[in-house]
Amino acid sequence: MDIVKSDELIEANIKLAFQHVEKEKRAAELIIANKELIFQNGEKEKRAQELSIANEELLFQNKEKEKRAAELSIANKELLFQNGEKEKRAAELSIANKELAFQNDEKEKRAAELIVANKELALQNIEKEKRAQELIIANKELAFQNEEKEKRAEEKEKRAAELIIANKELAFQNEEKEKRAAELIIANKELAFQNEEKEKRAAELIIANKELAFQNEEKEKRAAELIIANKELLAFTYISSHDLQEPLRKIQTFVTVILDSEDDNLSDNGKYYFQRMQLAAGRMQQLIEDLLAFSRISTTDHKFEETNMHTIADEIKTDLKDTIQEKQAVIETHNLGIANIIPFQFRQLLYNLISNALKFSVPGTPARILLSSEIVNGSKINNEKLSREKSYCHITIKDNGIGFEPEFSERIFEVFQKLHGKEVYAGTGIGLAIVKKIVENHNGFISATSELNQGATFDIYIPAN
Amino acid sequence: MNAIPQRTLNILLADDDIDDCLFFRGAIEKSPVRTTLTIVHDGKKLMQLLTTEDYILPAVLFLDLNMPRQNGFECLSEIKLHARLRQIPVIMFSTSNELAVVDRLFSNGAHYFIRKPSIFSQFEEIILQTLLLINKESVLQPSREDFVLMHSSASI
Repeated sequence: MDIVKSDELIEANIKLAFQHVEKEKRAAELIIANKELIFQNGEKEKRAQELSIANEELLFQNKEKEKRAAELSIANKELLFQNGEKEKRAAELSIANKELAFQNDEKEKRAAELIVANKELALQNIEKEKRAQELIIANKELAFQNEEKEKRAEEKEKRAAELIIANKELAFQNEEKEKRAAELIIANKELAFQNEEKEKRAAELIIANKELAFQNEEKEKRAAELIIANKELLAFTYISSHDLQEPLRKIQTFVTVILDSEDDNLSDNGKYYFQRMQLAAGRMQQLIEDLLAFSRISTTDHKFEETNMHTIADEIKTDLKDTIQEKQAVIETHNLGIANIIPFQFRQLLYNLISNALKFSVPGTPARILLSSEIVNGSKINNEKLSREKSYCHITIKDNGIGFEPEFSERIFEVFQKLHGKEVYAGTGIGLAIVKKIVENHNGFISATSELNQGATFDIYIPAN
Repeated sequence: MNAIPQRTLNILLADDDIDDCLFFRGAIEKSPVRTTLTIVHDGKKLMQLLTTEDYILPAVLFLDLNMPRQNGFECLSEIKLHARLRQIPVIMFSTSNELAVVDRLFSNGAHYFIRKPSIFSQFEEIILQTLLLINKESVLQPSREDFVLMHSSASI
């Protein structure tokens, strides 16, 4: 035994010694490690302190956040309350708008009633129609303005709906919602004011209608009086002209009897005086005939007929053929067609103008007279007396006679106006007055243009239909 | 132109105007036709005369339009009612020649119409023309164009 076990013991002691060394190494390592740990624990304690400070900080912040959360919930309750208020106001506004819409209906009914009243007035009086039509236009104006009001009321309803939607969107639109509510209030006040104005105008219209009715009665009375006075005047003119011709004819006949039968008993002077009497009586006769023609133009019926002006011109040329021959006159017609005229009056008109053209020709120069016609539109003629919308038959009579100064271009149409003494040119001064009256009977217009010694042009415009 | 007749023409004139009667008589005397002239001054006297029994009817009646009591229109109408008087040629006389009047006289059956001229020689001429016209066996109413008698230098 014993050697082996002592070897084993020595080996074991060697192993143990080795293990001791190892353990001492490890113990030193452990001591280092423990120092390391202690250092690390120190560090950890620092950090733990820092953490606890941080935790305290966090606790504080959490408390702040809770405060703010509490404030926010209060604010939200506030907001909910305000939304409730705004919904109430929007509801009130929509009630107010319904009220307005109802009032607008009422006013429409009144405007409609006004229109009916005005139409009744128009029916009662032909003269009032013009003004009644103006009234209808004013009422249409009113109805139109009421439509405008309806549109504005609709728009306001739309705006109120937008308000309700905007309220639902909350926070950012609060200021704008308040602005829109304020605008609505202003617009409603404006509407109320306009409605007041319209009621005032409607009341004024009723007063104006009554005034008009009264004035129309007065005018009808005056018109009736004028018609009677006119008829009496024309009858008087006709009768006196007729009765004046009788004694005049006697004077003329007796002068011719005397000149025929007392030729031997009369001195040259005596014969001359009687001849002057004849001339004077002849002028008087012409005057009476012209006056009669003038009054006849005014009194006889005006029957318009489609007539060929060329035919009338030819008839006149035949009537005046002696004078035409004497003056070596040439009468040309150009485009004289069919027109809607009073035949016998138009005949008189052309006769007077053509015989004037012949009478006032330049002595020694063959007279040239041109008759022409065309259809023109009223807008092309620069004349306030002619309607722009109508078309007119424009008849021109142009001659190459002695003419007249332009300053007399209107006077020549006046009754008894002559530009020459009776010894120079015979005539009563009524011919052109008759022409003008005939043109007026045709609802037309006549003007004369001339320069001395450069002939004259007469322009006549009568409605084409 | 008709030959100047040899028999005496019996003329009846109804006119209230003294001067026109004077002119007429003067014109008749100058004419180559031999005539006897009877004058009445109002329409009623004329009708009385014409409807007198056995009264010798004139060869021609010159009838003025404007007469008192019964005027030319009325006389003409009444004459045309009597069968015996209807054939007498009636020549209407007037100062005016208004178309409406002339037309009415023509349609009422007058034979001719004369507008009293204011020159005596024309008066004479027209009377002679008339006398020659009616100096036929039977005088019919002419056409409307020829109804109005005019002296040679007259215009419309």
